[in-house]
Amino acid sequence: MTNERLSLLQHWMKTVVTERGGLEEKLRAAARLHGLSAEDVVADTRGLDAHERLGIYARGYVLRLLECMRADFPALRGFVGDAVFDAFARAYIITRPPGSPSLYELGAGFPRFLEETRPKDRPLEPGLDAAMLELPAELARLERARAEVARARGTEDDPAAEPLTPLEVFGGEWSLQATPCLRLLELKFPLVEFVGSAARGEQPAPPAPRRTFVAVGRANYRIFTEEVAPWQFAFLKTCARPSQVYAAVQAAAQESGEETGRVLASAAVWLPVVFEFGFLRRVLT
Amino acid sequence: MRQPPHSAQNDGRPPRLGLPNLGLGVGLRNQHFDYLMRHDPPVDWFEIISENFIDNHGFARRVLERVRSLRPVVMHGVSLSVGSTDPLDLEYLKGLKSLAEFVRPAWVSDHLCWTGVAGVNTHDLLPMPLNEESLRHVAARVRQVQDFLERPLVLENPSTYLEFKDSTVPEWEFLSELVRETSCGLLLDVNNVYVSGHNHGFDPEHYLENLPHESVVQIHLAGPTDCGRYLVDTHDRPVPARVWELYRLAQEWTGGVSTLLEWDANIPDFPELVAELRKAEAALAGENPGGAVPLHGVGEAVSNPVSFGLAPER
Repeated sequence: MTNERLSLLQHWMKTVVTERGGLEEKLRAAARLHGLSAEDVVADTRGLDAHERLGIYARGYVLRLLECMRADFPALRGFVGDAVFDAFARAYIITRPPGSPSLYELGAGFPRFLEETRPKDRPLEPGLDAAMLELPAELARLERARAEVARARGTEDDPAAEPLTPLEVFGGEWSLQATPCLRLLELKFPLVEFVGSAARGEQPAPPAPRRTFVAVGRANYRIFTEEVAPWQFAFLKTCARPSQVYAAVQAAAQESGEETGRVLASAAVWLPVVFEFGFLRRVLT
Repeated sequence: MRQPPHSAQNDGRPPRLGLPNLGLGVGLRNQHFDYLMRHDPPVDWFEIISENFIDNHGFARRVLERVRSLRPVVMHGVSLSVGSTDPLDLEYLKGLKSLAEFVRPAWVSDHLCWTGVAGVNTHDLLPMPLNEESLRHVAARVRQVQDFLERPLVLENPSTYLEFKDSTVPEWEFLSELVRETSCGLLLDVNNVYVSGHNHGFDPEHYLENLPHESVVQIHLAGPTDCGRYLVDTHDRPVPARVWELYRLAQEWTGGVSTLLEWDANIPDFPELVAELRKAEAALAGENPGGAVPLHGVGEAVSNPVSFGLAPER
């Protein structure tokens, strides 16, 4: 046996474990791709035949990752029910096998997968608004963002921030910058309350579609998921790069269509909250 | 008491690669984070799943920081894929090394397995064909990893459900030769020996007898599931009597090494976990604190559960 032989055996077994379909379909695919049968590869030892032994690995592969998907998307699972969620997740696992050594990356492509594979014209059941078909992908986006925020670098080790003085709003040595854990989402549904309610073990009714802006951040290891106004969303987006407050206010006003003076007044009240929720930090200009 | 068999590997090396016997430890799991932030844990040491902490800057990192300040920590990986024919993942190794600089672990371990090929990571510990050529392949990669990490690698025997027709040597012989060629250490999972022995029809005691005992650094304990005609390494229940028997033998023959209880699904509260761990003391005193392996329906038991790392941290 050379490394080529080892490589062949591993590619064959990878196909058997990860390929779509039942075990017989997987084995046919592996035979077609690699020219080997189960009997060519698997030794005869007591008790179980080659197919049964391979079945343990093939079943385990999907079930193991399915458990991870369930843990990552609890609100989506609660909304669509176990059977539908498992069908979504199994299709995702088989269609897009994981490549990262980290299981935290497993669900990263799930929102896009749901969006790309949702029925575009057909409602799930009579009487259901077709727009509701978009809800699973949107819910998955929010749950994924929360999972990312939980692991990202946060502000926990930052020195305690002094409150902004009125003059600092117009410039100075400090700028505002988004924290590494800030995630901003534009969603088609108001999902903040929905996810919170699901986390409490309730079964909330699905919300009617409404364009919403959401910021997710973390402070003292607590995750904050907040619906924000369009100008606040624009303000936070501007702070992806260090921005002085007034410059961010101007950008937020321009993007949201609000008057600059009104945004400035609102920002003065709102800014303490952005530190409390771990959305922004102060950095030296 | 059975006499310790002659070990073919002792060529003057210190036992356990010179690494300490840390005593009785458990895995660090999300489900126990709150408990561990409030209590001084009544265990000697902790093992972390390395991948759950690489690039994790959330609460888990804070808990790890506290635990590390209280007890020794060992890093146990599941994605090194040392047996794969894909190139070693250097980004992964960099992450592992960076984490080791933070944790300062007593040692770093992974498994004799491959987790995927062609860029796919199945997150399973897949079995190796065991022969001269695969030994050359794995030994070269172990040396590469040890050079990169600048420390010995400790490798665990996996639980397996199939053997390859290409295999020409038993697993204990493969591991013995791997130790001889690379000076790596062994993490002896006695539950995996029991599971694989049952599934393939070899004698677990013969397996233990023929390992290089001086190179065993650590032992894993866990509870498997009986699926009728085969056992699955589910880590979801107490350690059974047969595994405690093997544990006692392994401790006698190795002269005493660090013990780690794995419990990765249906995870109990921390005090209950510790109570199960403490049974190791009874086992070493000559009692057998375990029961039978309960029978489980075929088809649903999952080996090597991994979702515990994704459970909510707070």
